[in-house]
Amino acid sequence: MRSAEVLDCHVLVIGSGGAGVRAAIEASGFGETVLVSKTIAGKGGCTPMAEGGYNAVLREQDSCETHYEDTMKGGAYLNEPGLVSILVAEAPQRVTDLLAWGAVFDVTDSCTVAQRPFGGQSFPRTCYAGDRTGHEIMMTLIERLASTGVEVFSEVTALDLVRGNDRVIGALCLDGKGKIVAIRSDATVLATGGGTQIFDISTNSSSGTGDGFAIGYRAGAELIDMEMVQFHPTGAVYPYDARGRLITEAVRGEGGVLRNAAGERFMAKYDPDRMELSTRDVVSRAIATEIQEGRGTPHGGVYLDVTHLPRQQVEERLPVMLEQFLKFGLDIREEPMEVAPTAHHVMGGLRITPGAGTTVPGLFACGEVAGGVHGANRLGGNALADTQVFGKRAGESAGKSPRRSSRIERGAIDAQEERLAAFLDGDVPPSIVTRSLKTAMWEGAGIFRTEKDLKKTLNVITHLSSLRLLARTEENLTECCTTQNMLLSASLVVRGALLRKESRGAHMRKDVVQTWDARNSPYGHTYQSLERCGIETVVRA
Amino acid sequence: MKKIHVRVFRFDPESDEKPHYQNYVVDVNEGARVLHALQAIHDDIDPTLSFRSCCRAGQCGSCAVRVNGVPGLACMEEAIDGMTVEPLDLPVKKDLVVDLFTFLETLPRIQPCGEPIVPDREKAELIKPLRSCIECFCCISVCPAMDVTQFDGPAAMRQELRLELDPRDRKDRVTEAVSHGLFACTSCQACWKVCPKGIEIPGKAIEKLRALANKKGLTLPRHLEVAQLVRETGRSIVRTGSTFLEDSPDTIEPNGPAKATVGFFVGCMYNGRLPATARDAMEVLKRNGIRVVIPKEQVCCGSPLIRTGQTGFVDTLKKRNIDAFVSRNLDTVLTMCAGCGSTLKRDYKTPFRVMDINEVLTKFGIEPPARLPVKVTYHDPCHLLRGQGIRDEPRELITQVADLVEMPSVCCGSGGGVRSGMPEVAAALAENRKKEIERTGADIVVSSCPFCEFHIMEHTDRPVRNITSLILDGYREKDRKKAMVS
Repeated sequence: MRSAEVLDCHVLVIGSGGAGVRAAIEASGFGETVLVSKTIAGKGGCTPMAEGGYNAVLREQDSCETHYEDTMKGGAYLNEPGLVSILVAEAPQRVTDLLAWGAVFDVTDSCTVAQRPFGGQSFPRTCYAGDRTGHEIMMTLIERLASTGVEVFSEVTALDLVRGNDRVIGALCLDGKGKIVAIRSDATVLATGGGTQIFDISTNSSSGTGDGFAIGYRAGAELIDMEMVQFHPTGAVYPYDARGRLITEAVRGEGGVLRNAAGERFMAKYDPDRMELSTRDVVSRAIATEIQEGRGTPHGGVYLDVTHLPRQQVEERLPVMLEQFLKFGLDIREEPMEVAPTAHHVMGGLRITPGAGTTVPGLFACGEVAGGVHGANRLGGNALADTQVFGKRAGESAGKSPRRSSRIERGAIDAQEERLAAFLDGDVPPSIVTRSLKTAMWEGAGIFRTEKDLKKTLNVITHLSSLRLLARTEENLTECCTTQNMLLSASLVVRGALLRKESRGAHMRKDVVQTWDARNSPYGHTYQSLERCGIETVVRA
Repeated sequence: MKKIHVRVFRFDPESDEKPHYQNYVVDVNEGARVLHALQAIHDDIDPTLSFRSCCRAGQCGSCAVRVNGVPGLACMEEAIDGMTVEPLDLPVKKDLVVDLFTFLETLPRIQPCGEPIVPDREKAELIKPLRSCIECFCCISVCPAMDVTQFDGPAAMRQELRLELDPRDRKDRVTEAVSHGLFACTSCQACWKVCPKGIEIPGKAIEKLRALANKKGLTLPRHLEVAQLVRETGRSIVRTGSTFLEDSPDTIEPNGPAKATVGFFVGCMYNGRLPATARDAMEVLKRNGIRVVIPKEQVCCGSPLIRTGQTGFVDTLKKRNIDAFVSRNLDTVLTMCAGCGSTLKRDYKTPFRVMDINEVLTKFGIEPPARLPVKVTYHDPCHLLRGQGIRDEPRELITQVADLVEMPSVCCGSGGGVRSGMPEVAAALAENRKKEIERTGADIVVSSCPFCEFHIMEHTDRPVRNITSLILDGYREKDRKKAMVS
């Protein structure tokens, strides 16, 4: 029998990226708050890796209406309108919070926060701190967190939520030594981020394994639009082991051009008006097509070239890119980069209310684990804003939850212990399973999808899920749990993709012929929970 | 795919008495990073191996390890055949996982006034480079001062300055930095040389904080005395006897045709404390065809003031020194003090080229000296190795005279005003050096910096020789043998 530590708090936050820490800061004003993070708090998730920026309406010439319209259009009108209204209205206030807490954004000569243009936006409204905007925000939040009373458990992994009387009443977690930590709470916030690590090629940190999708689903929450996965057009292809590493959109923003192996600027065939600065879904499909049709580079990408730009421009505007490529042996001032699409962001997630409440009482969700804000395709710069706007809302809603006298029953802990014990007696190392899963997902549920491939992928997932995962040591238990979460998240993506028989935003069904554009689609969200699954239909006048 | 051999530090404090190393042969792809090799070991060979990683792109600071002794991010450093991977030099939790939390907790955190103030552009530009720290703690792993005294370390000092510059922070960070060991830093430069983000903490944070401390009257009394001495005499040390400059001609002509002409910047220590060593160097230069011009009006380079944050008088010193060499139309100025050389190269904007004596001698080549029947070890001066990037040249010279036994390149404690301001810290660091020296079994310690030589002499029973003195010993031996034959 494993010894179980039992803790008690008012609000439990799971996840330490931008959304989780923002939620914890807010919740701490209402009562005792605990934050658990499977990484060192502040180092995990994708927030510290975000380069581009944070969208907020800060100028008189700009308006929340245009930010709203840009976001809806970019999201192929699948976004939840109420959530988008909140995002655009509150993003500026959350910038103010960050400024009050010490954030150092780039500034204009008149001492206001500088903003730059970003894809799909009708006004330059992306605030930034060089090309390390997410890191700047994360450092600010971590500093702020330190001045609150939030109790932080780093390197403690949430296993599952605990339900009692149809509510979520806490979570069971695992520390690095294989000991269960049970945390009872009045309210729980899931802020576990995304999960594109289920694909072979991904920009995500190694923590992006979709744990929150799986944990939420198992606790009975409903998820929407899980098929909506954004593939960023430009990921690194070399070195092979670092494939998928993000090459920022700013490279094209600065004038970088895409060429195939024959030297053609192929975007002219796909979007002659916007060329390289077309939307991410279009550029990704264009690159993938070039590679599939045999016009790729030796490393299996296409060329992204900035060698025609002045050296100084590359050095000043793209310093991190320059530094990273130099480290990998390529001087981008002299030679073109090789790039290919990479799985980047999950637009789908737990269905939330404007108050970040999920469909399960006592459970809130914010950041990438929640769905609906970004519809079928996210605009660059809207994710960081999302973490702050809905992080605050989730923390506040959770904080305002009434105090309860629930108790985590021994039975719940016993069941989890049984699950863990089985791993110590398993057959297959988790790394073998995740490797197969990633390949299957990339091949069968990637940029181009068909029912046939999706069903094949689902079969692979079902098979992999039937294997008995092996933990050689207590420390490997976490990997087994994560692998199970990846398998479940992957199945949610594939099932969502099967449910949506249309091409929309990032979701491209090659086997479906459709007569409508996104604005006139007869479909709404796909939804999946333990109880039901399907796709909403829209009745149009 | 290719096969590489990796030697990995293994230690589980809960079950192992002491650490051991485990060898693996692992398949990785071309261009793989250290992290990919570790991941492959974990996935394909040994799932019990523990290490941290997260972003895989050099942005989160989770995965720092030592590769062949040098700290760096596992996700960015290339995996090389035969490499040894060890944890940072911090308390080990298991294998390559170290306790980062103790240090994360000591980092000062902002206490904001609560107003959403936007720092102006000038302030923002000053803060931004300090802000790119990813708290990987490679710097803490290599900081020698933290091992011997209460010093919060480079990462914390960087943060103190970042907060001091921020108009939103309410605390007096300068006083806080002083109480957390600001004056313990020896300016050894080890921290920023391993910083994945290249944050120049000694120059851009520590010295700036010391300058702010100076304005608050917090400069150490001994440092004030040195500054007063420089202002009054142009020299940072008290005159105790005749100096090198007083005893030298204006120009030293070489034996035979001149290969080059250089101006000689002697520096306070070789001028006043170790003039015999400087004369040895002149002999070596003379013998190797270098004409040396010695302007007598040169003064202290200003390093003792810059390192201790007393920068008020430095511009005057710079002007006097630059004028002294410019007026003689010299295009190359030679230094033999590592500290002066680093200061002239990095803190000055000189219209002439500055070269260390090791660079000059290897560039023009030296007459082979006789081999001496001694085993020597070489102490890398911080301001030569890290300040000027000179590593191979001294070794190339030494190995022409004697057998060299290497020891780790760590600060001896004499720099950054620590010897004068915090002598107990300087002594503790030198005692660590002493142990390393003894471990080599060398007969003689060789170095190339008067501060190191003088300081190490006090802490070892082995003779301490300047590199040029050692070469000169070789020439004398050669001449002696030649005289015997004839």
